[in-house]
Amino acid sequence: MLSLEIIKEHPHHILTLNGEIDASNSVELDDSIRKMIDDGAQSILVDGTNLHYISSAGLGVFMSYLEDFQAEGIRFIIYGLGPSVLEVFKILGLDQLISIMPDKETVIKEI
Amino acid sequence: MPKLPAIHIGKLSFLLAILVWLALLFVDLVRLFGKINNMDAGIAQEFTWILEALFFLMIYFFYQYRIAKDSKNDFLELIWRAASTGIFATGVYLLIQIFYFLLGDTKLAGDPFLRNFFYHVHFALISIFIISTSLIWRSLILYQKSKQVVKQWQTYELILLGCLFFVFFQPVSFDYPFLFVLAITILMAVVLSVNLKWIPYLTFKEKWKTLLFLFFILLCAGLLFFQTNRFLSSSEMYPINLMDNLFLISLFFFTIIYAFFSFLVTLFNLPTSSVFEQKLTEAINFQRLSQSIKPDENEEQVLDILLDSCMSASYADGAWLEVTREQEIEIAQARFIDEKTKKELFYLLEENSVKKQWLAEHIPDHLQPLSLKIEHSKYLTALIVPIVVNKSLIGQLVLFKEVRDGFNKEMINIISTFARQASIAVENHRLLNQAVRNERYQEELKIAQRVQKSLLPSKLDHNETFDICAYSNAADEVGGDYYDTFQLDEHRFVIIIGDVSGKGTSAAFHMSQMKGIFHSLIQLNLSPSEFMIRANAALSRCLERNHFITASIFIIDTHQKTFCHARAGHVPTLMYQNHLKKAEYLGIDGLGLGILRNIQYENHVEEKTFTFQNGDLLVLFTDGIVEAKNQQHQQFGFERIRTLVEKNQSKSPREMQTILVDALHEFVGGDGMIDDDYSTVIVKFI
Repeated sequence: MLSLEIIKEHPHHILTLNGEIDASNSVELDDSIRKMIDDGAQSILVDGTNLHYISSAGLGVFMSYLEDFQAEGIRFIIYGLGPSVLEVFKILGLDQLISIMPDKETVIKEI
Repeated sequence: MPKLPAIHIGKLSFLLAILVWLALLFVDLVRLFGKINNMDAGIAQEFTWILEALFFLMIYFFYQYRIAKDSKNDFLELIWRAASTGIFATGVYLLIQIFYFLLGDTKLAGDPFLRNFFYHVHFALISIFIISTSLIWRSLILYQKSKQVVKQWQTYELILLGCLFFVFFQPVSFDYPFLFVLAITILMAVVLSVNLKWIPYLTFKEKWKTLLFLFFILLCAGLLFFQTNRFLSSSEMYPINLMDNLFLISLFFFTIIYAFFSFLVTLFNLPTSSVFEQKLTEAINFQRLSQSIKPDENEEQVLDILLDSCMSASYADGAWLEVTREQEIEIAQARFIDEKTKKELFYLLEENSVKKQWLAEHIPDHLQPLSLKIEHSKYLTALIVPIVVNKSLIGQLVLFKEVRDGFNKEMINIISTFARQASIAVENHRLLNQAVRNERYQEELKIAQRVQKSLLPSKLDHNETFDICAYSNAADEVGGDYYDTFQLDEHRFVIIIGDVSGKGTSAAFHMSQMKGIFHSLIQLNLSPSEFMIRANAALSRCLERNHFITASIFIIDTHQKTFCHARAGHVPTLMYQNHLKKAEYLGIDGLGLGILRNIQYENHVEEKTFTFQNGDLLVLFTDGIVEAKNQQHQQFGFERIRTLVEKNQSKSPREMQTILVDALHEFVGGDGMIDDDYSTVIVKFI
């Protein structure tokens, strides 16, 4: 089960993920990110506080947008990941390519 | 038991009948000779009676055998047989009359012996006609028999058997006992003659033929009956009256009564026979509709049968079949309607407000046939029959008639039943096709599974300094996990394990690409990190944008007792060190393959060389094991693997593998499915 929510907090688009991301619902994640890019988002923040699990298909979605973010100068930050989900990002090495921060306060402070 | 030669009842009874008849003729001629010469031949009357009874029985057996053998419910043929026998008997009678007429007053004409001979010929033919016809009636009466009718017939047969011997007890004919028994048999004949269930099954034409044949039978029987009466009155010519037999007379009445009843009933059935035929056609059409579908046939055929069935059931003057294809209404079949009329009618129906309302008001499942008045020069009534398959309207059947209110309730009932039957047939057809298709996909997947199994090595390269085993299981038919080995030289071996993102068929295809890349790059004698960089470059060109592959590679040098290792986003490998009695995950950084598809990838992969000692273990696995969840949504996790390995470090790789897989299944729960591919490769240095 996964529920997604996009909130606009100028200048950020905040995508809140709730539940688990696997092969069956990774398309929804893809749609949401695509929508924010089409919306002209310049700063995308993903709130993963309530994300309990992400499969390789879900990671593939984030990965597939890395080039787009770079090309269009979009800032992309994931924050609030629990230890097990963060571990998955780290094992794959995605933490080297995506800015991952502990919480929203850090994000605000950093930028 | 010695097998007795099969007795041919037909031939035997036929032969016996002839022999008995000859004996009868001989006995009577001898008696006549004695009478003429005023001598007592010494032959009792009873002798003739016995022979006569025997003759009847033989004919009875013969015809019973013949009719049982030949007839297969073809009523017309049966009646024709009776009629032809009658015509033949009458013909012979007429020939004899002509013969005597030609003889005139010659001496031969008065010869009692010749007369007696012809009398016996007569007797034989009449007996044959009556007995065979009675037996034919029997098979008609017993058509669609009930227990009661069978009992009635058996009683009748028993009484007839009694009649056969009546003459022994009551030689005087037409006295009260004789008439009493005759009255009983006639009454029984009347009771039996109401069994005429075969008549409705005749077609209109067959009924006419039946009437003709029955007429012949009545005519012949009447003529011969009249003849019997004539014989009765000339007893001085014939010492014993053979016809004066209760059995024969009873059967005579039976023949006539049944023929007469059949004649009348057939006659009165003529006007309604078309209705019965109609009902029979409908029943057959039902059967055709339900049997018409085979997997390789199309739905058009069913609709074709439906259209014809409905037309014949309602006597419609014209009809067509509309099929909805991609929102467009298309007239698939039309009957007796030309193009111009079709357009006019189509327009009329499109504009009809009652029809629009009908379509708008009901959901397809509840649609009932709709009868409409239409303003057309030729057709005055239309009936629209919806064809609903799987709760959606796939088409309409439209029937037209040239009269007002042309469709009555019975017709509409039968037509809607036809339509439902056709819908079921089409639905079944679709399901069947789907099942066949699914079956084929299953077969294809099985082939894919077999091919993929062959992509994983059946033999793992190693030498005597280490032991190795591997295991892989796919969540679906095919999976995206990969492991392989390669021997570089005498003491250098490569082990790789990989995991394609996602699972199922797409993962399986990428896995086979990974195998190709491994086998081509490994020949180049590359270092682990160099291998990863080249593999990343190659995969970047062929992986879909959101797919990636994780891998771990080991190049083991058994001579130096070292191994060089690089990790590309794969779950870390567990190493058990015997001298420390501890297992640790190998810490090394590395990005998955296909994530960064440019030269920068070089900066995200590293390699390290480790040394090993005897008794050390390497446990490689994929994330399917780590992420396997139990009922409480807990993951199997890295720690459980570490504990298991430390606890069972003394075991062989094969045993260790079994323990690991068993523990995993136990953790997930009895029938819980592990919904990801999982694999493990275990190496033990010895």
